[in-house]
Amino acid sequence: MTPLLSVSDLAVSYGAVPAVAGVSLEIFPGEVRVILGANGAGKTTIIKTVLGLLRPRRGTVRYGGEHDLLRLKPHQIRRLGVAWVPEGRQLWNTLSVIDNLRMGGFAERDAKAVDRRVDEMFERFPRLRERRDQVAGSLSGGEQQMVAIARALIAAPKLLLMDEPSLGLAPIIVRDVFRLVRDINAMGISILMVEQNARQALRVASWAYLLEVGAIVDSGPVSEIASHSRIQAIFLGGEA
Amino acid sequence: MPSFAYFEPILIFTLLNVTMAMGLYITALSGQLSMATAAIAGVGAYLSAILTAKWGWPFLPAIVCAAAIGAVVGTLLALVTLRMRDFILKLTTLAFGEALSVLAFNWEYIGGANSFTGITLYTTLPQCVLAALLALYVAWRFDGSRLGFAARAVRDDPLAAGAMGVPLMRVRVITFALGSALVGIGGALQAHYLLVISPNELGFFVSLNFVIFLLFGGLQTLWGPVLGAALLTALPELLRFTSQYRLILYGLIIVLVVLVRPEGVLTRKPTGQARRLFGRILVPERPVGALAERPTDRPLPLGLVQRSAER
Amino acid sequence: MMPLLLQQIANGLVIGSTYAVVALGFSLAFTVLRVINFAHPDIFMVGMFAGLVLAVPGPWGFVVALGAGALGAAAVGYALERTVISPLRGRDVLMTLIGTLGVAIMLENGMALIAGPDPVSYPNLLPREFVDIGPVTLTLRQVVNFAICLALLVLVSLYVRATKFGRATRAIAERPDVAAAFGVDVGRVCQATILIASAMAGVAAVSVGAMYGSAHAFVGLLYGLKAFTCMLVAGNRYFEGVMVVALGLGIIEALVTGYLSSSLRDAVAFFVLIGVLLFRPNGLFGSYAT
Repeated sequence: MTPLLSVSDLAVSYGAVPAVAGVSLEIFPGEVRVILGANGAGKTTIIKTVLGLLRPRRGTVRYGGEHDLLRLKPHQIRRLGVAWVPEGRQLWNTLSVIDNLRMGGFAERDAKAVDRRVDEMFERFPRLRERRDQVAGSLSGGEQQMVAIARALIAAPKLLLMDEPSLGLAPIIVRDVFRLVRDINAMGISILMVEQNARQALRVASWAYLLEVGAIVDSGPVSEIASHSRIQAIFLGGEA
Repeated sequence: MPSFAYFEPILIFTLLNVTMAMGLYITALSGQLSMATAAIAGVGAYLSAILTAKWGWPFLPAIVCAAAIGAVVGTLLALVTLRMRDFILKLTTLAFGEALSVLAFNWEYIGGANSFTGITLYTTLPQCVLAALLALYVAWRFDGSRLGFAARAVRDDPLAAGAMGVPLMRVRVITFALGSALVGIGGALQAHYLLVISPNELGFFVSLNFVIFLLFGGLQTLWGPVLGAALLTALPELLRFTSQYRLILYGLIIVLVVLVRPEGVLTRKPTGQARRLFGRILVPERPVGALAERPTDRPLPLGLVQRSAER
Repeated sequence: MMPLLLQQIANGLVIGSTYAVVALGFSLAFTVLRVINFAHPDIFMVGMFAGLVLAVPGPWGFVVALGAGALGAAAVGYALERTVISPLRGRDVLMTLIGTLGVAIMLENGMALIAGPDPVSYPNLLPREFVDIGPVTLTLRQVVNFAICLALLVLVSLYVRATKFGRATRAIAERPDVAAAFGVDVGRVCQATILIASAMAGVAAVSVGAMYGSAHAFVGLLYGLKAFTCMLVAGNRYFEGVMVVALGLGIIEALVTGYLSSSLRDAVAFFVLIGVLLFRPNGLFGSYAT
């Protein structure tokens, strides 16, 4: 089977400072994979490079076996079915909730289809329907995360890139978010997630990569990797 | 062949602009790219003109006073803008310059809208050479001094510099005051050569010229601003076009430098290999993000990326 | 006392609406592209001359001139966007200011070369009539200018609030990266933004030319600094903020002219700017982080 996304030997720098050096990873259709790593390990850099927002120094990013993403601009990559839940939500705070959702479907030419999907999202997140005309900046953290995820789903993605979806959220909401990740995956959407919350992430993912200072130091199926001492020591506080 | 009398004013204006550009260079070294250079020069000019023309002082003490008032104004601006973000700092100095220009416009004692006239000719070419040499020496010494390094540290990251024990306020005040003193001297010498000071000369667009000198030449070395001030002052005069053609050319040069050499004409980067130099000229550093024409974290030949993207 | 006050407020609104159109063009470029487009006031100037060249006498002359102004300004705006603004996008704000200032110098002096450095008289596109509105008397030309500028402001406001492309414009203003990742062709929206700002300035320029009866190669300077100030005072978070500030500035200037002295008029903008920068550095209505 050809991987949906395959990144190989990726190296990205900010000016002279290397952020990622020689990272390779892949994800197959229908999978959930997670990149674990501390702050500054280069997780967001990988995501932004896949999205076309950063240009790597070297390496390749292939999508669906045929598209070379490094040759495309961000909006062209979006049209191939890649959507993004950015770190810290990054909603358009001055736009209303419904406008945020509509922007999620910007690439879709059929306005009716977008409206339909917006309605679906309101069915799924009734809280958002109540807040539909409020500016997104006035929402609570949990509600904002709902908008960020709904915005990405309106794009009807094949591949969802989730950057720290649990960051800054209350524990109860974090559980909701990960339940949602499972639901989204059940809809047939592949998910590449970046997380610091290893315990939760390893529960939904099938494969994990461990990123340290810009390089992948360990990877494997979750069933195996969860027992590796490094992950134990860093993320799971030593307990099994 | 034009006579020396034709070249003398060009030479004098070039030297004076170099003097003032050095002043702005010192000020900008700590991250305060002031947009009020012309206003500070104007304060020096007006004060020295009042002292010589109205109070009958000799020239030298008037120049010293011009330097002193430059330093005072510089200190004031440094203190007001101390905690401001970069962009707001520039705007505040800009607004300050405009306000001074308006003040001069409405103050009858110094001529108001009719300009300050009746100034005696004192300034000579040797004096201007002396002033430019003094400014160069000061800037050169300052550049290599402990304070110069502290200033660069403040420019690059005020918070980190503060955390490392660099006295932020002192560095900023000293650079602004010292630079403005040189600007004040330049302004006073210019007033006693032009023999008239007009309030318009204090405004934003004149100040912007000095910023252009710096950015044109490059801020990485002392010689960048010298080159910028000298070339951009002398070149248009020497070309001897009509004034409109000259200004069009001036505009074109600015656009080209900003587009092609965004770090200025003179940079510190090694230029040993011809290929590398060529590469640097054709390939400006590009920023990251969607607002850049093509997001990139390294220089790419212009146009290449888009073409490959459309294929 | 009252009639003078109302009269000056009316005069202020007329001139303020022109500031607002130019300031909005500035603000669109700065907010969406993070570019300080100092050539914008000179695009306004080019529009004024384009309208002058193609002005024909007769009832449709004014409309034709407005169209010519819009096209002329948009053409220059397009060329500017392709050659200078697009490569400068994403660079330090000061570099964009200097680069576009270079273009401004070229445009002004280029036009001075063609049309001469002195004001040129504008054809009589509108009749010289007076209109009484209650206690206030304005010329027909003032009323038309105000109506045109107001219409432009309302159109832009509708565009950014109620259309898909306008929504994308605001999305880029706040978060360009996220907008790009959700399918917005940032380059194209930026181009459209410059075109809209330019065409709008061109229309307003023709109406201002008709109002004052003259065009001038260096007219941009006056409008430029004031519009720039309005943008800074308002902050760039809401486009409507710039409109309010510009109208307010027009009124204050008219009142200063009426009650104090006309030589102080041009100073008002900068005193307001200094006050606002000291107490609200992000502008009266707030700004996006840059």
